[in-house]
Amino acid sequence: MLLFSYLLMSGVTTGALYALVALGIVVVNKATGVINFAQGEFFMFTGFVGWMLHVQFGMNYPLSFLLAVAVGFVLGMLTDRIAFRPIAKSDIVSLVLATVGIGFILKGLARVIWGGKADYLSFPPITSPDPIMVGPVMVIPQQLAVLAGTVIIMLVFAAFFRLTRAGKMMQATADNSRAALLVGIRTDRIYTLAFGTGAAIAAAAAVLTAPLTLLYPDIGFAFFLKGFAAAVLGGLTSLPGAVLGGLIVGVAESLAGGYIHSSVMELSPFLVIMVVLVLRPSGLLSFRKARRI
Amino acid sequence: MGQRLSGAAVLLAAAFAASAATAQAPGVTADTIKIGTFGALTGPGYLYGKLPMNGVEVVFDEINRAGGINGRKLQLVREDDRCDPTAAIGAVKKLVEQDQVFAIIGGGCSNATFAAKDTLEASKVPTLIFASVHDGITIPPAANIFSTATTSTIESQAQLAYAVEQGAKKIAIVSMRDSWGRARYTPLIEAFKAKNIKPVADEELSPDANDATAQVLRLKAAGADAVLLLLYPKPAAIFIRDAQKLGFKPLSLGQTGIADPAAFEEQVGVPGATANFRTISQVRYTPEDPKMDKWRKLVEAKFPGDRLSVYNLFGIGSAEVLVEALKRAGKDLTREKMTDALANLKDVNTEVYAAPITCSATDHRCNKGPAWMAKEPGGPIKVLGFTVVGQ
Repeated sequence: MLLFSYLLMSGVTTGALYALVALGIVVVNKATGVINFAQGEFFMFTGFVGWMLHVQFGMNYPLSFLLAVAVGFVLGMLTDRIAFRPIAKSDIVSLVLATVGIGFILKGLARVIWGGKADYLSFPPITSPDPIMVGPVMVIPQQLAVLAGTVIIMLVFAAFFRLTRAGKMMQATADNSRAALLVGIRTDRIYTLAFGTGAAIAAAAAVLTAPLTLLYPDIGFAFFLKGFAAAVLGGLTSLPGAVLGGLIVGVAESLAGGYIHSSVMELSPFLVIMVVLVLRPSGLLSFRKARRI
Repeated sequence: MGQRLSGAAVLLAAAFAASAATAQAPGVTADTIKIGTFGALTGPGYLYGKLPMNGVEVVFDEINRAGGINGRKLQLVREDDRCDPTAAIGAVKKLVEQDQVFAIIGGGCSNATFAAKDTLEASKVPTLIFASVHDGITIPPAANIFSTATTSTIESQAQLAYAVEQGAKKIAIVSMRDSWGRARYTPLIEAFKAKNIKPVADEELSPDANDATAQVLRLKAAGADAVLLLLYPKPAAIFIRDAQKLGFKPLSLGQTGIADPAAFEEQVGVPGATANFRTISQVRYTPEDPKMDKWRKLVEAKFPGDRLSVYNLFGIGSAEVLVEALKRAGKDLTREKMTDALANLKDVNTEVYAAPITCSATDHRCNKGPAWMAKEPGGPIKVLGFTVVGQ
């Protein structure tokens, strides 16, 4: 039972990291209908920005966090304006390829700016590095901080989509962009807002998780892959789905590693996804809308 | 008239002989020897390229200040391979065909150097590798390619030998299974078989892992008292962090992939977690060691802004070996004599390597004595000794 508790806790904390990346993917996809393949690189780049502010410039953690999120937001908006909007009317493949290109550019920029400082950059933990007991299980406090951060970010964005005008306009644009345009919503601004928001989530995720995972220019793709898997599992347009998907991917990895062998850890989440998608192709929490005729 | 003709013939013969001598030894003049080097000068791989090259250059400066080798000054020609296999092939071709170097000392990133092996072999230019650890560079041996880097097989054998030497009874493995990891994992398993030992656990960890709880729990359940880590610094740091979290404190042995114990302690980020961690170094001194003062001053004077690093020492040791071979090859330098001199180096002591350097016609892995380093938590890095393997 103790083994299960440890594996479950480990899976949940790792899954929370994946969930944060998945949230960013879902936000962009909800508004634009495009999977942002640069989400992992937004995560990497803004993580380095947070490191630079906190470690190099000596700013305190909360300020570094907020500034990194702001940089992420601006970076996302610029990405939309410079790389996405000029080809916004192109086919979906071109749009997706544009996000892949953005990812390569961000990775190259990170190598130029932060390459050559060390092989991996460490980010000081915001909590005590000493493990603590949670019930019968030993955990690192930073892992709890990531869990708490995931929940807070999810609640903030749930409130944003349900309670704010901008959030409702994003929802409307995602549902039917032509109709949204007809009722006066400037959909181009919504796309910009979505990219900015997605990158801001990536920044929040990166600065929260950086103390748990060292920074290096290639970190983005691995996170994107797991985050994308989580988003697919959750249904690609559902924020709670993204979180649930992240947790399932993390727990599946951990239990497979503990009970079967560590060699199946990387494989197990994708097996789970295959099974779920066969049984429920739209994902766990994505519901097809019924239309009244 | 006859005397004039015979005088002209003597002059012609002398000129022909001189040109023939020059043709036999490209890159060599009466007062210079041109040596080429390749590795990453730019990008993150500069640690294994530019920094060893800087080490080579200060050794050459010292030799030149003392009058050179047989009256010839050493010139270093650098080429950037950016850790890229295609660029490495281009760099070697340029050094050989355009710059006409006499010999080459270099090779940083393993994949790039391995890709250039065929080009190096075909050129017949005597070559000494200073940092690349891939076994394929020296196995099977190419007649003209030698290495002062501890290769992956040597390091794997040394990890097991050291664990046994330290009294470990239950030895486990945690490895990455990408090409880098497999190059170490396969010879490690062979070393286990050769010693008739079975690992008590054999776990995998991805290079991008963010959690190693499952692996730690399995190793703990197996009762491992020593863990051989075939991992990059990131997964190794995650493993050590989670082992500490779960109260699992075996002897943990890294390799040159984790070359800097001070940086590693910071990457793990949990006080005291690296207390039982040891790792391999190609050289026996840390840059802070007073015995390296001479080299520190020379490197920092020639390259303002640089601080002596362990990667500079890779180049310094390798250059000392190259210089010794050049001396032994004699005044009438040819590439064949130089290759023979390299192949017959025996028990050559350098100022930085842990064990004497020995090459042979059949084994071109010349450095078989990796050193062991540890850093007391919060304290200095210490060199614990060295393990000689594979001889």
